[in-house]
Amino acid sequence: MTRREATGRLVARLRDHAVVASLGHPAYDLFLAGDRPANFYTWGSMGLTSSIALGIALARPDCPVVALDGDGSLLMNLGSLATIGACSPANLLVVVWDNEQYGTTGGQPTATSLGADLAAAARAMGLDATAVTTAEQFDRALDRADESRRATVIVAKVEESIPGGRPPLDCVFIKQRFMAAIGACEPGTRGAGA
Amino acid sequence: MAVSPASPPAWAPRVCAGLAAANVRHIVYVPDNPLSHLLDVLAREYPQVHRTLATREEEAVGIAAGLYLGGVRPAVLMQSSGLGNCANAVASLLAAYQIPVVFVMSMRGDPGEWNAAQVPMGRAIRPLLDALGVPFASIDAAEEAESTVRAMCDTAFSVRFPAAVLLPRRLTTA
Repeated sequence: MTRREATGRLVARLRDHAVVASLGHPAYDLFLAGDRPANFYTWGSMGLTSSIALGIALARPDCPVVALDGDGSLLMNLGSLATIGACSPANLLVVVWDNEQYGTTGGQPTATSLGADLAAAARAMGLDATAVTTAEQFDRALDRADESRRATVIVAKVEESIPGGRPPLDCVFIKQRFMAAIGACEPGTRGAGA
Repeated sequence: MAVSPASPPAWAPRVCAGLAAANVRHIVYVPDNPLSHLLDVLAREYPQVHRTLATREEEAVGIAAGLYLGGVRPAVLMQSSGLGNCANAVASLLAAYQIPVVFVMSMRGDPGEWNAAQVPMGRAIRPLLDALGVPFASIDAAEEAESTVRAMCDTAFSVRFPAAVLLPRRLTTA
């Protein structure tokens, strides 16, 4: 299963979900699978995707939140698993696209190519975590995540694929569109009536 | 040891009052001795303000950014040394996306410091905040704590940019 194919399977199931995507290929594939206002594309701050998603999930318990992280990114912020495990909001799903490489920067191998096990790390932090390698396993894991009463992690082993497009570059546009989509519009951004 | 006295130092309830007056509703923190006074006051006097422990300052910035995106005004409590752990997140997340997060930083490496290892980063805090374009104010007396915190928060949330309030050692160790 390629990351592009897996992203498409996930996006096809989205309803009113907020989605936060890690910079580079995970964000590009999310955009290509279906741009939507409730997608928050990061363009920097590598490693923080799951943390941003946790913050949204804590602020908005009514809103299902999905983080699309990468193996290299999550390895930069493994402590996030401990915090998510401690808070464990039921409305948070963290999907880790594990292609065992830094795909956006040229395909250099990550520690998962040498045996580092992110699903085991997530379980060790008290999270409900599953590793999947096929599309059918991924679908079943997503079904289970929908019913989970605590935060869930799915580590999906995926083949790298070069995305053929990019999301908007305007960070403030991404933020304002996202906040309006989930009903958290910033005061003042649309002017005030007379 | 982080042993909190029964009655907190005068600056602590005033900092908390400033945060609450600015409608800060969620605190993300990496703890420190002086900050434990703030956390105690928040837990006792402001139970409606949520508190989340982060493992590292960079992670705290990510969580706080998400809280803001979800419509909640956030503040990050951390020791000043943590600014070095989160500089890229401040720049490429908070500044780039214009996400206001208010930092309350207990200072290390400033006058009164005893630990040589803390001094180089302590000297770098103000130049680093300047370089990142993050406005900051230092609270030098307890009497000004509430108004300074309130003003820094109000401007941060109005202009949508991070800001920092520094708690110098001469305040917190007095």
